[in-house]
Amino acid sequence: MSDTVLVVGAGPTGLSAAAAASSVGKKVVLVEKEAILGGAPIISGYAKLVPSGEWAKDAIGRMVARVENDSGIAIHKSSRVVKLDGEAGNFTATLSNGTTVNCGAVILGTGFTHFDSINKPEWGFGTFEDVLTTTQMEQMVASGKIACPSDGRVPERVAILLCVGSRDRQIGREWCSKICCTVSTNLAMEIKELSPTTDVFIYYMDIRTFGLYEDKFYWKSQEEFKTKFVKARIAEVTRAPDGRLLVKGEDTLVKRPIVIPFDIVVHAIGMDPNEENPEIAKVFGVGLEKHGFLDRGEQYTNSFSSMRRGVYVGGSALGPEDIDTSISHGLAMAMRAVGEMNGLVQKAA
Amino acid sequence: MATYAEMREIYDDIRGDFRYDHELNGCLNCGICTATCPSAQFYDYSPREIVQLLWTENVEQVYDAMQEKIWACAQCMTCAARCPFKNSPGGLVMIMREVAIKHGMQSAKDVLRPFGRVMLKLITTGNQLSPDMIQPDHFPDWGPNIQKVEGNLKTLRKAIPMRTLQTTDTAWEVSLKTSVEMYTIWEMTGVLNSLETMDENLFDVIEDFIDEKREEYDEWLEEQEGKGD
Repeated sequence: MSDTVLVVGAGPTGLSAAAAASSVGKKVVLVEKEAILGGAPIISGYAKLVPSGEWAKDAIGRMVARVENDSGIAIHKSSRVVKLDGEAGNFTATLSNGTTVNCGAVILGTGFTHFDSINKPEWGFGTFEDVLTTTQMEQMVASGKIACPSDGRVPERVAILLCVGSRDRQIGREWCSKICCTVSTNLAMEIKELSPTTDVFIYYMDIRTFGLYEDKFYWKSQEEFKTKFVKARIAEVTRAPDGRLLVKGEDTLVKRPIVIPFDIVVHAIGMDPNEENPEIAKVFGVGLEKHGFLDRGEQYTNSFSSMRRGVYVGGSALGPEDIDTSISHGLAMAMRAVGEMNGLVQKAA
Repeated sequence: MATYAEMREIYDDIRGDFRYDHELNGCLNCGICTATCPSAQFYDYSPREIVQLLWTENVEQVYDAMQEKIWACAQCMTCAARCPFKNSPGGLVMIMREVAIKHGMQSAKDVLRPFGRVMLKLITTGNQLSPDMIQPDHFPDWGPNIQKVEGNLKTLRKAIPMRTLQTTDTAWEVSLKTSVEMYTIWEMTGVLNSLETMDENLFDVIEDFIDEKREEYDEWLEEQEGKGD
């Protein structure tokens, strides 16, 4: 019986799982394909996080430091698991750097991939310089200055389009990405804070600032930051002769088509299944659900189980997920992994 | 004004169309169909409104929309290409129009009346438009380009190096056999019935024409048999 837990992916889910398993005395091997730890919030340079309002580099940075300073956790950066043999209690994982890891359980925190806005060409991304994604806009906020990429002018008006790459059967994305409504209202407030002369409009189908995010984000963005919400899905983004962007939609509440000029248009991009999921499923012998996320087993008494015993899956590998919940998934998976490993040891004794 | 029962019958006919469930899955009320709709830019017409009326089974307002609104749709189907739910508002309008015709609604008659000439040409020859129909008065939107087809039509058409296109009263030469086959299609698919409901006079004219052509065809067939002996 091995006393090691293998954690795959060093985003919020994996960092949380690794620290948790180590804290109860298990040895942990953490494998991350990128050269740095932290996952999407660090690699994509997110600005302030929901709901804490802390900068991503600080909040997730602490999670990274905790794992890096833990002598019980061996970290393999720029590495992948290429093979997983054996069974629960006694797996052998082969890494791309040649290392072999003997482990009792495997935790998958393999995450998601940001939707690529090129797949909605009529919304202007890749055609017009001033059409950005929420990720790029977060980077702009993190840089401390709001300006049009085309000529550096301060935007008078910014439009954020919700549900880009979500809730759209035309492009095979039938899921709600869960976090974009809240992230966008947060972003609207950040933009206004940095650039008080800029007005922010959010175009929505439904507003899903779930739970406590209703007043802290949706209401606050209106009451304190004067964010305007327009119930309209945008048909297309074009460019006026003067270089400004034209957003064409229907204001469904007044029932008429509208064309409105903007200086920056932001796509609130959704969460796609990790583009490597087919390969991940093959290597770890787990399944994919119908949208392409990793499949889960019975949730009520076999929580966070995958389709293979001893391999656990959680966070945004399961479906669109927020950071706080992903951290909880990491803790829960560590509990499951440790519990199963201890149980196998007791059984053998 | 129609009674509720009559309006209900019209609605049920729309709902009962075999395409209906394929064109309507629900509605997120996102408005992308109306945003992208060229007709909505110019008329009091909104594809989202049509979808909502049908989806919420608003029988009276569906009937109301069939008086004028549904005739503003250009059937370009951009709405269907954009809808994130894969509805087809344009396809639903197509069904509503067919039902309006089936029920002989006045709105359908009013809309179709100016197309009598085209209808006559289409049903009798399979051609919508023939060169001799293109006269400057009828096509102001062509502007000066209309001069290109003015002059001696017969000579101009003779210049086309394809014999079947050297006609003036049809766009191309339609063979007798093809015409008669086409009449059978019109008959079996209910087109002639619809026409009778919409415009009885035009129907009579067309039916006389069809009878004549069928006789001609029968004669031709007999002739062929005679040749074979």
